[in-house]
Amino acid sequence: MRRYSPDETVDMLIVGAGAGGATLAQRLARKGWRVLVLEAGPFWDPDEDWVSDEAGAHPLYWTEERIIGGEDPVELGKNNCGRGVGGSMIHYAGFTPRFHPSDFEVYTRDGVAADWPITYEDLKPHYERLERELPVAGEFWPWGDPHDYPHGPHPVGAGALKAWEGARRLGIEMRVGPVGIANGSFGHRPHCIYRGFCLQGCKVGAKASPLVTHIPDALEHGVEVRADCMVTQIETDETGRCTGVTYFHDNQEHFQAAEAITVAGYSIETPRLLLHSTSSRFPNGLANENDLVGRGIMVQGAPQVAGRFPEEMRMYKAPPPEISSEQFYETDPGRGFARGFSIQTVGPLPIGWAEHVLADGHWGQSLREYMRDYNHWYTIGCLSELLPRAENRVTLAEQTDRNGMPVARLDYTQCENDRANIAYAKNKLHEILHAAEAQDILTIDRYAHLVGGCPMSDKPETGVIDRDHRAWGIPNLFVCDGSVMPTQGSANPALTIMALASRLAERLDGKRIDPASKQQVSSHA
Amino acid sequence: MAQAPSSSAGHLPKQGGDTTPRPPAGLPHQRKGTTPQMRGRYPDYDVLTAASHWDAKTRGVVLDRVANVPPIRFFTEQEARTLGAFCDVVTGQDAEPRIPVLEMVDAKLHAGRLDGFRHHDMPPDPETWQQVAANLDDSAREHGSDDGFAAASSETQHEIVQRFSEGKLDWELPVTKAWGVVMRGVLGAFYSHPWAWNEIGFGGPAYPRGYARLGAGQREHWEAPPEFGVDPVHDVHERGLE
Repeated sequence: MRRYSPDETVDMLIVGAGAGGATLAQRLARKGWRVLVLEAGPFWDPDEDWVSDEAGAHPLYWTEERIIGGEDPVELGKNNCGRGVGGSMIHYAGFTPRFHPSDFEVYTRDGVAADWPITYEDLKPHYERLERELPVAGEFWPWGDPHDYPHGPHPVGAGALKAWEGARRLGIEMRVGPVGIANGSFGHRPHCIYRGFCLQGCKVGAKASPLVTHIPDALEHGVEVRADCMVTQIETDETGRCTGVTYFHDNQEHFQAAEAITVAGYSIETPRLLLHSTSSRFPNGLANENDLVGRGIMVQGAPQVAGRFPEEMRMYKAPPPEISSEQFYETDPGRGFARGFSIQTVGPLPIGWAEHVLADGHWGQSLREYMRDYNHWYTIGCLSELLPRAENRVTLAEQTDRNGMPVARLDYTQCENDRANIAYAKNKLHEILHAAEAQDILTIDRYAHLVGGCPMSDKPETGVIDRDHRAWGIPNLFVCDGSVMPTQGSANPALTIMALASRLAERLDGKRIDPASKQQVSSHA
Repeated sequence: MAQAPSSSAGHLPKQGGDTTPRPPAGLPHQRKGTTPQMRGRYPDYDVLTAASHWDAKTRGVVLDRVANVPPIRFFTEQEARTLGAFCDVVTGQDAEPRIPVLEMVDAKLHAGRLDGFRHHDMPPDPETWQQVAANLDDSAREHGSDDGFAAASSETQHEIVQRFSEGKLDWELPVTKAWGVVMRGVLGAFYSHPWAWNEIGFGGPAYPRGYARLGAGQREHWEAPPEFGVDPVHDVHERGLE
């Protein structure tokens, strides 16, 4: 791997090696940029570092302290926060749907939230390219912009077939996939062995994450990935340009110079870093003149409902993401709320299943009884599109971490539209399992995914970055991760984050960020 | 006694099954391997016999969980007594062999391993555990148990835990959130232990060999059929638990 010295001014310094940062690094390196990625967590060796074990997967998650508040607080950690090269895609289930064209214009269509400053057509070529690169396996997709997938659908386990039959009886269409799991060997990556530990890191290497998709190619093209480096401050000069970053490695403070900086730390750490990067010129943090950094954080309502069947389902087998439906994705005025939800399968392992049983109110002997019955159950879930709200935000807490940096606080409260969506979607899950003739049903309320916090916008008053991811008012600062999303649809965000990064690289093209430029990307001599 | 149709769901608590602090009568005794209290639905299943097929890293982590029970280092003796009793009640561990839940929780807290979030109105998780211990003892004293929660009658313990689970205890600590913190720790410990996997018939790690038989009622050659020595519907009826 190439190494840059601290005083060597790299063309692009990227903070975070997840879906956004890693994809951007790979793309820019192929265009000849000198790219350095600083990643807070480790550079994983799946053979040595990972285990096929729920509790043993603890190091994959961002587990340092954060504060949560609001009326409907969002639990962080293992459910939605990754750490290390590959980011949260190391432990995502593997669903890789595209957003729908409607997602980019929800204000125009439904009068809620905001339109994006880009359209589906802007991302479409990048979706297509990434689906080949991951690769994505699934049936022909009839929803949103209908499309095919490069790899055919995976086999489906017993429980998914049950749920599918229930859905069919209700007239609900479901399809196999789409998952970023190679169906067949793919280059040096082996095929899936259906062991069910997708959320604990894929030791097999069949499930796509930047660690196995874009990082190897990035390294091949001269990118340095400096792991275990926690960036605490973006430094700026008197003209308001970024000059580099301060970071900690092994409790030692370092500085790295850069012509341009992209923050790709996801929806909690990206706002935290921008808010913490204060100076006399930027007393409220970077790109925060309008007090928008950290606002508009979104999660998806993700209740899960389990059904009990006479035969053994053994839901720990096969990847948790098996079949899904986007039949309820778009607004239907008859439902009484704006936007919609998707339906997907999940296959909790024993600890996850125990949390599900507990959430339904069972402990002691009752818990043990439901747990002993594990092999007869199957679980489906939904992703409800919750709307962005200004008061749902990341701020800096008084408490500091071991580097002296204030920890993030996330406040979250649902609006009426959110509650109506979740209630309707949860009821639909119950209907499906009843139609499948489940003998008993257990329910857990929860959230999934995290996006927003640094939304892109067509003017500085309404967002943090412009349509090309450049921070409003700072010519050489970019944001490229899930935080840039103005809305979230009811799709899992990973593929869209990668597509955004791929598009950003295309927009930047061969043009370096000229140190003298004030507004525009200019050609580098 | 009728052989179990495991296809029936009548034994489940929400279907009128037993929610009293006893396991259902006739639950088979474990014949192979170990389960907590040596009962389970899969009396001839021992996931550890597959350990030689797991990758070395996973095998090391899982077998260490069985072989090495960590000493109590974080909690005081009194806290450990109280919380040990609490862990027994919430996991229904009424006899040996027990999964050492509190020891596993203690090791995590001693090592300073956090889960990545804290409610703004809650203390850090380790302190929450300590406060729960003190509050459980106080609640037990209010029920007349001068020596705290561990010395209280089974009925008292269950009543306190029931109210704890419903958020109905008058503690200074936000009770529902505290329940979430401690149960996250308890369940994470109990169901990470291969004895619990034996009890529930979980196939276990399966890397690198994977799973091949995904259909309803299909089993890998090392997985075992469920067995339940009593018809649960009949049993529940007979015991008057409906």
